[in-house]
This record gives sequence, structure tokens and C-alpha cells, in this order.
Amino acid sequence: MGNLEKEQLTIGFVPLTDSAPLVIAKSQGFFAEQGLQVRLEKQNSWATLRDKLHEGILDAAQMLAPMPLASSMGLGCYPTPIITPFVLSLNGNAITLSDALYQELLQVNELDDAVLPLSAGLLRKVIEQRKAAGRARIRFANVFPYSCHHYQLLDWLESGGISSKEVDILTVPPVNMVGFLETGEIDAFCVGGPWNAKAVRSGIGLTALTSFDIWENMPEKVLGISKKFAEQNPETVKALCCAVERACHWLEATPNRFEAARFLSSSDYLDAPLDVIAPSLIGSCLTHRDTAPRQVEFYNQFYSRPGQHVNKPFVTSGEWLLEKMLMAGQIPESAKGSISVADVFREDLYENVSSSFVRAPF
Amino acid sequence: MSSELSILLIDENVDRAKEVIAALEESRYQVRHLASPSTALLKEVDAWQPDVIMIDTESPSRDMLESLHMISSYSPKPVVMFSEAEDEEMINLSVKSGVSAYVVGDPDSARIRPILDAAVARFNEYQRLKDELVQTKGELEARKLIDEAKRLLMDVKGISENDAFHSMRKTAMDSGQKMEDVARTVISMMKNMNF
Repeated sequence: MGNLEKEQLTIGFVPLTDSAPLVIAKSQGFFAEQGLQVRLEKQNSWATLRDKLHEGILDAAQMLAPMPLASSMGLGCYPTPIITPFVLSLNGNAITLSDALYQELLQVNELDDAVLPLSAGLLRKVIEQRKAAGRARIRFANVFPYSCHHYQLLDWLESGGISSKEVDILTVPPVNMVGFLETGEIDAFCVGGPWNAKAVRSGIGLTALTSFDIWENMPEKVLGISKKFAEQNPETVKALCCAVERACHWLEATPNRFEAARFLSSSDYLDAPLDVIAPSLIGSCLTHRDTAPRQVEFYNQFYSRPGQHVNKPFVTSGEWLLEKMLMAGQIPESAKGSISVADVFREDLYENVSSSFVRAPF
Repeated sequence: MSSELSILLIDENVDRAKEVIAALEESRYQVRHLASPSTALLKEVDAWQPDVIMIDTESPSRDMLESLHMISSYSPKPVVMFSEAEDEEMINLSVKSGVSAYVVGDPDSARIRPILDAAVARFNEYQRLKDELVQTKGELEARKLIDEAKRLLMDVKGISENDAFHSMRKTAMDSGQKMEDVARTVISMMKNMNF
């Protein structure tokens, strides 16, 4: 432990349910166990979190899985090599429709209620009827242009034969999502917890499906570090990975999940009520004020079970995300050749550290 | 430097916004303040078409700005950011990441105007260079097309390079088209007819 290059770290996070691994590593003393003194700094926007990480104001950060690729390629920013040695979570997002859009969808399709997960094809008639009536197009919101949320939304729409050109897609900060849905400025959104549950508890939306229903078990949040920092502080990065891995392991037990919800609820972190944070953590997807929750066992997944490697940043996952960026029209075909995914999704760093993971009896 | 410019100011801190507005009184900048986070930023930008956007770095709405360039109808604007912290690194970063300027600490009129002037000037210069690059790339592309069309004509019709060029130029002049458009037509015709 005495060989850490840097012991005091500032780590950025965005208040979301899947910031749990960082919050737990801090509150359960797993960082301290590794000799790290960590300050978790709440960030209001992904762009600002990214810029602070690029400039070294943050030593590490919870990032959307496509962000290290976007940073490295200079999409929406100055190109800066950002890497990830560790995947913090899988799944965790959901698509919620406003109650108004839900009722409209039922009416035009002559349905009494809808089967969940909802088929995107049911939006077809809404789109056509709105067009014929000269009404505004359906307006969706994502949380960031380079996010799984955006690609999940596009994939879901496509599964129903709907092109992204037939709807509007805006970017709205997660904290403002529910407010925007309530005032009707957006008709639907794709966001992480606890904001879907918040919309359902407020009685203003239907959570149509979770990201697990769209992409089964793909990386959602990753630990982002600048390449420079990783090169200069290899032992510190190792210690950091060990601490968050321990937290992910701790989060595997359902009783601990509820405790995690309590920690997250505090004003230092999510500043949201327990009854909107806890459900997704214990595999429950709230659906609508009038219908029962759905069981989605892997709604939030943090830890590798035997034979599974949740936390390993597979190069194939990175390549898959790159493909999604291409399909979304965010990068040209030629950009694929200009980046080496293996330099961003660092399986090698994960392999180096995985033998040091502390196994707690559990 | 005297033409009027409109600023869209996005700041939930109403007191600071008032200071900014006061600091820019009787200047060429017209400030419109947007305080509520629940107001759709993109809609406002679209409706007002401001010349400059000012935003607090810590504002959640910053992510909405990030998606602006994905909207095709949107033309880029200089962005000026506020920060409470006296952080030199942030200033450094802002210039690199495409943010046009940074205002650190309290906005007072002695400082804010030159910062805005410099941001607008630098942004315009950047845009000019970018436009130039796009134009140069376009010219290069046109040249390639013309060369390919010329080569096809030479191969298919068995004429000299000079004759191929002149025949394309004549068509362009007769039909009032650009050379590259004629070249495009030649290429697509030749390819479709399987010559």
C-alpha cells in the first residue's frame, strides 16, 4: 500500500442510481482500505465532468460507456486520450412515455392497455395521425449525444420500424427530465435511475421498457481516467480498481442493495426519496400508477458472477459502441480506422489488477 | 466593432445575471436572460438565434449545448462560460474545448466587455478558417470528379485529354452548369451504361 503514487483523489460522479459503486466504495471504507482518500464530487452535466477530467481537475470519473471513445476521437471536445480499465455497471436505463402520449397511443391503436415491454411499432399510428393533423412530432429526450441512452432509443425505435427522422430527439439533463415531461416539453425520455421511477411515482408516466429489454448486459457506466494519469499513477489506478470492485461485489447481495439505496438517497449524492431509488436496485421496474411493477432481475448490474465478466472492459464492447456511433451518424465510416479501441477499453489493465481483487466472504 | 449582438444568458443565479446585464448596459450587446432550467434551451436558441451564448459551467443545461451541433439547422455560436472558481486550468481547457471564452469570478463591466469582444473575434476567425477548409476540400473533390470524368471520356470515346476537357467545358457553358456537375453527370451516365 505504501507504493501509491497519489493517495488523495477527486472523483467526479453524476447523481444517478448507478453511481452506487463509487458511493459504496466511499461509504463502506473500501477506498480507505486501499490507502486512498477520495473526495466524490457531484457534477451537474456530463460535458463539464468530461472537461474537468480532460484537464486533470478530476483524477477519475464515472462516465457513460461511449464517452472515453468520444473524448479520444474529439467528438464535441478537444481530442484527449481517455481510457477505462473498469466497467462500473450494466443496464440501468429505461424509456418512459408521458401519460398523455401513453393514452394517445392506446387510443389510436384501439387498446385498453399495453403489453410491457412496449413495442415501438405502436408509435407508428401516433406518428401518422399527428402528421395528418399537422401536430408536432413526438419529442424524445436523451441525456447526452454520446450515450447508450441515445443508441438504445434509436434501436428501440428501429425495432418498431421507426426512423429517427420521424421523431425529434433533444438532450435534457437527467435532473430536469421529469419536469420537462410534466410540462409537456418532451413526450418521452430515455434516462437512468432514479428518474424513471420518479416519473411513475409522480403519476405522470409509463415506463415502457428498460435498457435490459433492448440490449442485454452491455456496459453502461465505466471508470474514466486520462491515459496520462494512468501512465503516471499505475499503482493508484490499481488500488482504485480494487476498491470499486469490492464495492461492486458488496452490491451483489440484495440486503446490501437496500442499504445502498439509503446511502444514495442522501443530499450528498442523489438527494431523492428512498422509494424511487430502491426499486431498480432490487430488480423492480415501476411501470405506471395503475399497473404492477415488472420484475427485471438485472435492472442494475454491478458485479461479475462466476463465468461472467461484468467489470472487464471488453474491446468487443467498445467496438460495438463505435458501431452504434456510426449507425447514429455521429462519426463517418473512416473514423473507425482512426481509433484503436484496445487503447481505450483497456482489458490489459483490468487483467493486471484482477488477481489483486480482495475476495470477501459472501 | 459597433454592430449590435444578442446574448442569450443562461444562469439560474438571478443576482449574477443582473450584474451581467448591468455591466453590459449601453454596449453593443443585448442580453436576454433565461433563468428557468425548465425552459427548453434548444427551442429558445432556435427562436432567438443569439450571436453569443453565456452559461454557468456548473449548469445542468450545459449538456443541452453539447447537442446543439447535432441539429442540422443550427449554426455554431461562440459560447462564453462563467465559473465561480479562480481556476486557471479551467480557463486553459475552455479555449481548447471550443468554448470561446471564460469569465472567472464576478462579472464587472471593465472586464466583461473585452472578454466578450475577444470571444466573438476569435470565434469568427475560427469559423472563417473552418469555412475555408470546407471550401478547399470541396475544390479538391471537384477536381477529382473532373479528372475521373475526363478519363472515362478518353477511354470510352478514344479522344485526347484536351478534347475531353473541351467537350465537358462546352456542355457546362451551353447548359449553364458547373464543371463538377457536368463531370458528375458524365460519370453516372458512363457507369450506368456499363461502358
